[in-house]
Amino acid sequence: MADTRQVVADQQPALDPALTLVAQDAHVTYRVYEDRRAGLRELVSSRGKLRAARAIRAVKGVSFEARAGEVIGVIGANGSGKSTLLQAMAGLLPCTDGAVYARSQPVILGVGAALQPLLSGRRNVELGLLALGASQEQVEEQFDEVVEFSGLEGSIDLPMRTYSSGMKARLHFAIATSIQPDILLIDEALAVGDADFRERSEERIRTLQAHAGTVFIVSHRLSEIQRTCTRVLWLCAGELAADGTPDEVLAQYREWVGRPRNRPPRQQRQQRRRWRRRRQRHRERRLARRQQRRLRRQAGR
Amino acid sequence: MLASFPWRRDATGRATETVGMAAQATLERLGDTPSSADYLRALWGRRQFAIAIAVGEVRSQHMNTALGNVWLVLNPLLQMGVYYLVFGVIIGTDRGVDNFLAFLAVGVFLFHYTQRSIMAGAKSLLKNQGLIRSIQFPRAVLPLATVLAHGLSFLPAAAVMIGIALATGESLHWTWLLLVALFAVQTVFNIGMAFITARMTDRFPDMQNVLPFVFRLLFYMSGVLFLATRYVSAETLVWFQLNPVYAMISTGRGIILEGTLNGVLWLSAGGWAIFALVTGFFVFRAGERDYGRG
Repeated sequence: MADTRQVVADQQPALDPALTLVAQDAHVTYRVYEDRRAGLRELVSSRGKLRAARAIRAVKGVSFEARAGEVIGVIGANGSGKSTLLQAMAGLLPCTDGAVYARSQPVILGVGAALQPLLSGRRNVELGLLALGASQEQVEEQFDEVVEFSGLEGSIDLPMRTYSSGMKARLHFAIATSIQPDILLIDEALAVGDADFRERSEERIRTLQAHAGTVFIVSHRLSEIQRTCTRVLWLCAGELAADGTPDEVLAQYREWVGRPRNRPPRQQRQQRRRWRRRRQRHRERRLARRQQRRLRRQAGR
Repeated sequence: MLASFPWRRDATGRATETVGMAAQATLERLGDTPSSADYLRALWGRRQFAIAIAVGEVRSQHMNTALGNVWLVLNPLLQMGVYYLVFGVIIGTDRGVDNFLAFLAVGVFLFHYTQRSIMAGAKSLLKNQGLIRSIQFPRAVLPLATVLAHGLSFLPAAAVMIGIALATGESLHWTWLLLVALFAVQTVFNIGMAFITARMTDRFPDMQNVLPFVFRLLFYMSGVLFLATRYVSAETLVWFQLNPVYAMISTGRGIILEGTLNGVLWLSAGGWAIFALVTGFFVFRAGERDYGRG
């Protein structure tokens, strides 16, 4: 026991005062049961054992250092491990190997899971704030502000299941952003609701960013990343493909997205070209015929 | 465990400057289980959250029914009716009992309190996987809140139980005050067991299918429907007395039906409760790292 602790102490990152979060060779592995439809042969060879547990390696050895004042975008294709990495950074999914160090508890912006649809908006605001770690006094202090920001004063006593999806999203957002964490993790699609609310929520995110030590943003909207981030991490199949300035990494990423692998095979391309030409020819003939008919009619008159 | 949470705000509601933004240079490893003392402290810090979850659960339980929370009283009454009809009137397991209705009420209600608490507590981690994956808090809050919710909804049933006892000719006695202590002991026991079963169920969800049978066995082994001292031989009775649920039910019956206190049973019930809570706490804490991964 003493030995392992010694090893951990040796691996502790160097103490740079501006460091907020350090990932050292972080691995996260899930265990899930497969649900596959096996053929008869497979059924026999596996002796009737269909539900094999399978390990999903969502994050495979990611390392980086984040400093105060950085706004770090995380990009990558669907299923590349972005959300899992965020959860590991919040300490919610402990790393199976490697480690994440932070100077304070990172907080994922999101509170939806703590809310109960059958309860009124009022009780859910209280529940959400308590879930985020506020005390009873802080709840009372911030309650009005949250309700005002959500713009739901009129329906705050109705059960949340009666809210429209937009109203729900607004309430979630208002609760989640009422706290001010040092290390803030944002997982996509936060600017929600109508144009007015969207504007106010983007404003609020900027305030949070201004006060936070470090902000991580997972997003698929590359323009947003380009606009707000000072640094970009690109995850590809659970590994860090690139880490650098937005210009560099986004250029690489765009190139990768438009890579030749996405081009259809040659035969298909030729076939499509043939079809396109034929459509074009037909259209031209149709137009020509119509033109002729019109001319004839005019001539007849 | 990270001691300070960085989202304290000052009176104006503006964010105070981030805690230790420049000065603090120590990084802590995330996802490590805190020491027992820190864990307890963090749990205490989240007591209001636990209460809010529990109250919310009780409020929303019967929200979709016309009668609403009247069911908290009606449900145990109907249950009593069924058991009394089958075991009191038809089969007649009331040998050796003067006031069978009150006898049955105590047995059925106390048993169901424990059964529901532990079964729901066992599922609490699986049910709240989304919450576990989005917010950091001591996971012990979840089974704790679940047992508290069932404790709250047990209170109306307890009132029905006492009402039945009074209506069938039992008279109030000062020893009835000890029912409060019994409720406390039982709640402590339920919390401890919920901790243990929650960890097991999170690791092996199959436990959900096993638990009902465990409780079915316990139901018969606790003399809910019959007087164990009358139906069971002396050697077997020892096993009944070692059973915490039997000890609690019999203590309750002693208080309400006879106004007597049985030291052995109190000792058994209290001992089991403390043992369950302490063991449960350590068992649960040891698994803290892995919850919500299923």
